[in-house]
Amino acid sequence: MSETSLPVALINYIGLSAVLFFIGVAGVIVRRNPLIMLMSIELMWNAANLLFLAFARVWVNNAGHIFAFLVITVAAAEAAIGLAIVVVAFRRAKYVDVDEAALMKG
Amino acid sequence: MGVEGAYPLLIALWLLPMASAIALWAFGPQLRTAAGPIGAGIVGVCFALALFSWPDAVQRAHGALGAHLTLFSWGSGFDFGLLWDPLSLTWTLIITGVGFLIITYAIGYMEGDGAYARFFAYMTFFIFAMLTLVLSDNFVGLLVGWGGVGLASFFLIGFYIDRKTAVAAARKAFVINVVGDVGLMFAILVIVTQVGSTTYAETFARLGQFSNTALVLACVGIFIGCAAKSAQVPLHSWLPDAMEGPTPVSALIHAATMVTAGVYLIARCWPMWNASPDARDLAGSIGGLTALMGAILGCAQWDIKRILAYSTMSQIGYMVMGVGVGAYDAGVLHFLTHAFFKAQLFLGAGLVIHALANEQDVRKMGGLRTKMPFAFWAMLVGVLAICGIPPFSGFFSKDAVIYGALEHGHPYLYAIGVLTAAITAYYMFRLILVTFFGTYRGEVDPSDLGIRHPELAGMPPHAAPQAHHSHQPGPIMNVPVAILMIPTTAFGWLAIGPDSPWERFFGQLFAGGTHVEKVPASIGEGLSTLIVLALVLVGIGLAYLRYGTSAAREHAVERLRTESVHMPPVLANAFYFDAAIDALFVRPAQALGRFMGRVVDPIVIDGAVREAAIVAVSLGNRFRMLQGGLVRGYALTIVVGVICVIAYYAVMGAGR
Amino acid sequence: MLIPALVLGPILLGFAALLIPRHAHGAAKVYGYVIALAVTIATIASASAPDATVRWLSRPFEAAFHLGWTGIGYWLAVLLAIVTLCALVAVRASRQRDFVASILVLEGAMMGVFAAKDLLLFALFWDLMLIPVFFILVGWGPAVATAWRYLLYNLVGGLTLLLATAAFGIAYGSTDVIGRTGVTPLGDVWAPWIFAGFALAFLVKTPVWPLHTWMPATYADLPPEVAAIVSAVQSKAGLYGFIVIGIPLFGSAMHAAQPLMFVLGLIALLYGGYIALVENDAKRVVAYSSLSHLGLILLAVFSGNDLALRGAFVYLIAHGLFSAALFLVLGYVERREETRLLDRLGGLGTRNPRLAGALVLPALAALGLPGLAGFAGEILILTGLYRAGYVWPAVIALIPVVLAAAYMLRVYQGMMHGPSVADLPERPDLNWVEGIALAPLVIAFVLLGIQPLPVANGLTFVAAQTATAQGPAPPPSPTPQVTWVTIPGSMGGWVLKQVVYPTQAPQK
Repeated sequence: MSETSLPVALINYIGLSAVLFFIGVAGVIVRRNPLIMLMSIELMWNAANLLFLAFARVWVNNAGHIFAFLVITVAAAEAAIGLAIVVVAFRRAKYVDVDEAALMKG
Repeated sequence: MGVEGAYPLLIALWLLPMASAIALWAFGPQLRTAAGPIGAGIVGVCFALALFSWPDAVQRAHGALGAHLTLFSWGSGFDFGLLWDPLSLTWTLIITGVGFLIITYAIGYMEGDGAYARFFAYMTFFIFAMLTLVLSDNFVGLLVGWGGVGLASFFLIGFYIDRKTAVAAARKAFVINVVGDVGLMFAILVIVTQVGSTTYAETFARLGQFSNTALVLACVGIFIGCAAKSAQVPLHSWLPDAMEGPTPVSALIHAATMVTAGVYLIARCWPMWNASPDARDLAGSIGGLTALMGAILGCAQWDIKRILAYSTMSQIGYMVMGVGVGAYDAGVLHFLTHAFFKAQLFLGAGLVIHALANEQDVRKMGGLRTKMPFAFWAMLVGVLAICGIPPFSGFFSKDAVIYGALEHGHPYLYAIGVLTAAITAYYMFRLILVTFFGTYRGEVDPSDLGIRHPELAGMPPHAAPQAHHSHQPGPIMNVPVAILMIPTTAFGWLAIGPDSPWERFFGQLFAGGTHVEKVPASIGEGLSTLIVLALVLVGIGLAYLRYGTSAAREHAVERLRTESVHMPPVLANAFYFDAAIDALFVRPAQALGRFMGRVVDPIVIDGAVREAAIVAVSLGNRFRMLQGGLVRGYALTIVVGVICVIAYYAVMGAGR
Repeated sequence: MLIPALVLGPILLGFAALLIPRHAHGAAKVYGYVIALAVTIATIASASAPDATVRWLSRPFEAAFHLGWTGIGYWLAVLLAIVTLCALVAVRASRQRDFVASILVLEGAMMGVFAAKDLLLFALFWDLMLIPVFFILVGWGPAVATAWRYLLYNLVGGLTLLLATAAFGIAYGSTDVIGRTGVTPLGDVWAPWIFAGFALAFLVKTPVWPLHTWMPATYADLPPEVAAIVSAVQSKAGLYGFIVIGIPLFGSAMHAAQPLMFVLGLIALLYGGYIALVENDAKRVVAYSSLSHLGLILLAVFSGNDLALRGAFVYLIAHGLFSAALFLVLGYVERREETRLLDRLGGLGTRNPRLAGALVLPALAALGLPGLAGFAGEILILTGLYRAGYVWPAVIALIPVVLAAAYMLRVYQGMMHGPSVADLPERPDLNWVEGIALAPLVIAFVLLGIQPLPVANGLTFVAAQTATAQGPAPPPSPTPQVTWVTIPGSMGGWVLKQVVYPTQAPQK
């Protein structure tokens, strides 16, 4: 396959993607509000997307673009379901705290 | 070793008593008073069968003596059969003959007892076991009979099961017997290893194959069995306690038959004994020691049956000494005469006990010569025999044993034998004088006589009410005693001289075998007899001086009390043997058991098991902490896992 | 088909028992002993029944449902059938139907252990026979903790058994090896570990010191009828495993383990004996005495001596018979007096002489009275040990004989003799049903004591049966000439010594 050069070096894309991904991870682990956790998850999806697109461009392979579309679709569906769960599960609580949903405690 | 054949009379002789025992046990409540005559009758039939089978025992064919019946085999050298030769004939005649007389006597003695039928069931079972012992042709069969008589003894000593003393005595007897069994089992192990068979025939034929140590070990094992069964030192302490059983039991089992099983065994193993001087030394010494010790302790007893028990122990010591040093005919002759006079003595004592409503302490007797003349004469005959006064039977046999010790090279044992004879005379005449002379002391307060524990006297709890009254025993008890007087007096005459009927009969056993070497004795036989007689008269004289003079008889109560109070504790506690056994074996065993059962088992071993369980549970608890229920925790776990995977691939390189 | 029927029949019929209405105690009891009687008759008659084989695995190793009798397995199965029959005749428990069902399932599972000729099947039934006992302990025992301890302890053994079986299968290629001649032994890399796995399971089951601590509580808490079955038969499964799996397949490993096993066996002999002297609970006394007796069998099995091994066969059966009888009689006493503690009992013999008679005979067999089966086994084992050169173990093993006399008499006299403990109400003496429950056991150990030869020849007995199926029994041999023959290279390199009779060829 032929390589096309990007306006910015590839390493920057990888770096940005990593940073975004780990910010998302940190958000999922640290934050207790389920909405924030869902946003962090979205962030992780986007980071992955960025990576896919960067490599798709560099290696001139359309598979990456198509995969990015798939990711967007799945992310949207997951966000919808996740928000629905949040709404249903925490309908009565004033605060929404993930730590209180600890029914699976061993 | 015997002429092969099928001897139906022998089988009947052997098995009839067992059948009778089973029937009497099973149908006891229905038979009630018929049980006694049935039991006695069966034993009488067995005696007749033994007499009819006499020719079989002395037949000779192709070098074999007697009769042999093969029964069955377990393989590997364990073959079972019956052997009928002069030795087993001798014992069988005593077992069934004297047994018949004693069981007949018991019909009257045990009258009114609540477990009447069971008594006769046990007695006939005993006869069966004893016959198994003497009729077996191999060591394992002997051991079966050995255990059987021990069991019968257990049941009969503990016949009055509600008496704690009787129960304890029965257990003691049985456990000490088992120690003897173990010795015999060890001997069997050695023998089977050396020879490959358990039969007497094979063993004695192949004695040459035994290594020296093996022979000594086998003899020691056999002797341990003998010592336990025949109440030799140090396994003797069960015998005085065994007097808890009813008097017929004491007469039959603990005087005439079971306790002589050890003597039978040594006599049966005479080839082994001939081949092993160490065994002879051991057996002779223990026999002599027991004879002396029994006599000394007999001087310190107040219970009429215990006096007789110690005298039994002492006389069996003589027998063991006799067969132990190699004077087999002397030892067995003494067995025969002892069976007669000891049974006589016990049955006579039983007449007294029965008449006095189960009083057994001689201090509370006295003057019974006028009240019970027949019992007096019976016991006097027995005492004269046991002291070895001519022309009674005991004289011939005792003399033979004592002189036999000297002839076979044991001068110290000779001295012990002579000394013991003197002491025997003393305490037996003490018995006669205190019991039958003087005035009757039945109404005297026990503490005035020095009796400390009147409640331990011999009253069995479930005796029938009429036993409370003194009454003269009926003919069924007197006739056996009268019959016994005949052999007690006259049997010894069959053994006079070197070519006597007894020598000719018993000597057949040794034809073809070597006798133990006799050493030239330093004293002639006649002189020895005189020495013994003189010392016996000294003993009688001492007894008379202490108990028989008119002064002694007048002040009997004070003298008896003084003697009781000042009895040396060494004698009163039988040389502390019981205490020693308790301290050396019983207590440590129980302490060990408690230590293992309460410390090692629950705390150490089970503790380890519980520790394993606790470790498993705590491990589970640790792992449980991973399941916090926190979503974020799970998320962190996933992230950590992903990082690990990435790191792995980063290090290892992709594409692997 | 007979042998699979003997194994599966009781299991299925046990489950079928649950169809009986709950309150029909009598019907359940009758159901129980009719089936047990049928099983007993069928088992005795099945001496020459053919094996049943169904292959079911070919990867990773060959395995089959292979059921058949090895010689000693047959006798143990007969023992099991008789003991179960006696237990079911004597049984009297609450929720009778469930109890009878559990006992029948137990019987079937244990039949499977003794009939299994495939290692995997053996392991299956090994674990299976724990389950009914567990449920009986939970349902009819005083504390659940005992049940759990029993189950988990034995399952640890079952786990190692399963691992060892799997390893054996992989190493050898097939697990269908029990009772099969011509199995080449495994090399020295695999064999010790696989043998250790088997040995651990068998040691826990027997049990052998120090893996025994589950036993006293279990035997004490089990209802007496089931205690009879467990102590009489289940404890034999471990020793049976050593005999049919250990000796033929792992000869050199067993030889290497011999010093350790001798030490453990001797410790068990003495340990059990001493503790039995001081225990207050009569059932625990019998439990510890069991530990002691089975230690002797362990010595015999590891001695490598033909005579000791034959004595071990006899003693296995003998111990099963008198142990079962003892537990049944102790059950009778406990049923009447509500207690089995020796310091609270006494003097029962005066009022209940038949009960005393029923207790005395098994107690005498247990203490090795010459003439009864216990002695026959003991003397053969000890002779074999001594002859093979193990002098000190044989001598040390004589000590527990004296201890046994002491503790058995303590139990018997403690219960039956002595002044009656005051104001105990009148209790009925032994009745017909209880007597009939005991009779087969007592008669068997009396007869076995007189002539133990058929059982002693366990391994060859069944072969002889099949060979002379229609003919009369061979006559007993006359006084044999004893020759010691070393069987070259037999049993995995472990040498056995054997008596050769002049009219027979050396037996395998």
